[in-house]
Amino acid sequence: MGKGQPSYTDEEFVAAIRRDDDRALAQLYRLHFPMISHYVLQNSGTDDEAKDVYQEGVMVFYEKVRDGSLELSCQIKTYLYAVCRRLWLKRLAEKTRFGGRLDDHEPFLETGAEADLERAEEKERQLGTMAQSLDLIGEPCRSLLEGFYLLDKSMQQLTDEFGYTNADNAKNQKYKCLVRLKKLFFNQYQESN
Amino acid sequence: MKTEADYYALFEAYRAGGLADADRTTLEHRLAADPALAQRLQEFEELTGTLTAYGRRQALRQRLAAIHADMVAEQAPRLDLAKVAEQDERGEQFASGQAPRPMLRISRTEQKLRAFWQGHRATMMVAAAVAVLAVFTTLLGLEMYRTSQQSTSSRNGYTMLRREVERIKRDQRSMNRAITQIDAAAPAERLNPGKFSGTGFALTADGYLVTSYHVIQGADSLLIENRARQRFRAEPVFTDVAHDLAILQITDKDFTGFGRLPYAFKRGQSELGEKVYTLGYPREDLVFNDGSLSARSGFEGDTGFYQVSIPVNPGNSGGPLLDDRGNLIGVVSGRQMDVQSAAFATKSSYLMRLVDSLSAAGAGKPYNLPRYNQLGGTTRPQQIRKLQDYVFVVKVYE
Repeated sequence: MGKGQPSYTDEEFVAAIRRDDDRALAQLYRLHFPMISHYVLQNSGTDDEAKDVYQEGVMVFYEKVRDGSLELSCQIKTYLYAVCRRLWLKRLAEKTRFGGRLDDHEPFLETGAEADLERAEEKERQLGTMAQSLDLIGEPCRSLLEGFYLLDKSMQQLTDEFGYTNADNAKNQKYKCLVRLKKLFFNQYQESN
Repeated sequence: MKTEADYYALFEAYRAGGLADADRTTLEHRLAADPALAQRLQEFEELTGTLTAYGRRQALRQRLAAIHADMVAEQAPRLDLAKVAEQDERGEQFASGQAPRPMLRISRTEQKLRAFWQGHRATMMVAAAVAVLAVFTTLLGLEMYRTSQQSTSSRNGYTMLRREVERIKRDQRSMNRAITQIDAAAPAERLNPGKFSGTGFALTADGYLVTSYHVIQGADSLLIENRARQRFRAEPVFTDVAHDLAILQITDKDFTGFGRLPYAFKRGQSELGEKVYTLGYPREDLVFNDGSLSARSGFEGDTGFYQVSIPVNPGNSGGPLLDDRGNLIGVVSGRQMDVQSAAFATKSSYLMRLVDSLSAAGAGKPYNLPRYNQLGGTTRPQQIRKLQDYVFVVKVYE
């Protein structure tokens, strides 16, 4: 650790992240990155791929913690390793037909990470569809919805930004946009199912 | 009839808790009664839920990217430039307020090459090491083979003509074995034939002999053997490396002398085209060879030697070179391998000069050189018959 940063135990990490403590997240990120980076590089990956896999793994962990649905039966390290290992296996399978054994340098335990990952994948797909729908919906709906739901701007701010005469107009526009998004989203989601 | 957008306004207000109590209970009743409306509410919630989740995901991604960028920046010294470039791109995309860093574009091919190098570094190292090793082994082996092929007595195509007895002996051993099997009586004793052999001839009647320096080079002891297989112990008295000459003296007590020498030594130089011949022991028997004097300088223009067109072989070294009238004009020394029938012989004038300087120094017994030539006017066979008792095998032991 060093550098005068507070060092956390696993429980403290979980608690801090639940409080949305940025420093704890950063520290957790730094703590376990070398392990995953080493693992991916050992198994014919690049630095960038290691970064992507690790970030996805951390996201799964983070979202679980924020949901409050995390039941940690092992160390965070082991959990992250299991998640990232699965993610990397999937990537490798997509990249090549290399389905062979990987070199494990950490004991690989049943951590419940597998099930979490399946749920995370489902969510990932949903969010992917949402991103596509937002791409398709066109302006100004996209900016309006992103402003309201993604960037947490108030209706008054958006009214000023988009030049509506009053907040009610902006609201009406927003609802119309939501309806359009709904159609796009559910159509695509069902298609991909 | 309300539009869907109106329902959405209603739902949003309902979720935000912004409806009056009366309106809320009406809506809840309607939801309970109308499944289509309930379905619509569910869809609305899923949609807004996904939207907010998407927003949170984006924000989280951005945060992680920022954390990663910080981490990479801390490890700046061992920073991968390609990664910085990408970090920069992301930084700009999400407007995370990072200062743009200088970036280095790496082409796709180079990226692939780098990845390949990363993956196969160890294998390539081993391959390179093996290649280097193979090259050096081959070069070294070739060099060793060449030096072993090159006998020590030959350089620049010049071959000295002393005979390696061991080699010939080895070649003949199988033959000898066959003979001894036929002839049941084994030979009484086997004399050590020595390591090298050459030819020598008498310089004075009282026991001085001449041979080539290279014949006795590195010798421990010397034996002189005449045609009748009589052996005498001898010692080198003087050697002249530059002219490849050696003077030996017989040291045996029971040696009485050669008798009067039939030939005389020529002090001047001989003419080109002179008919010359030599006697020597390239094998166990005395061998005669003749030819002409073809040049008055030797190998690479050495004026101490003649070039003669006599076929000579290892073992001829140190043999006498005589002209038609029986004057001794040289001492056979060597031949040039890459030239047809070019043998070299030390000029007798150098031998005479050497003898003169030795007698002037007054060391050892005086040199009584023969004055008169008894061979003039006789035929070759007659000359050789007289000569053969004064030509010897010089055996060298190391």
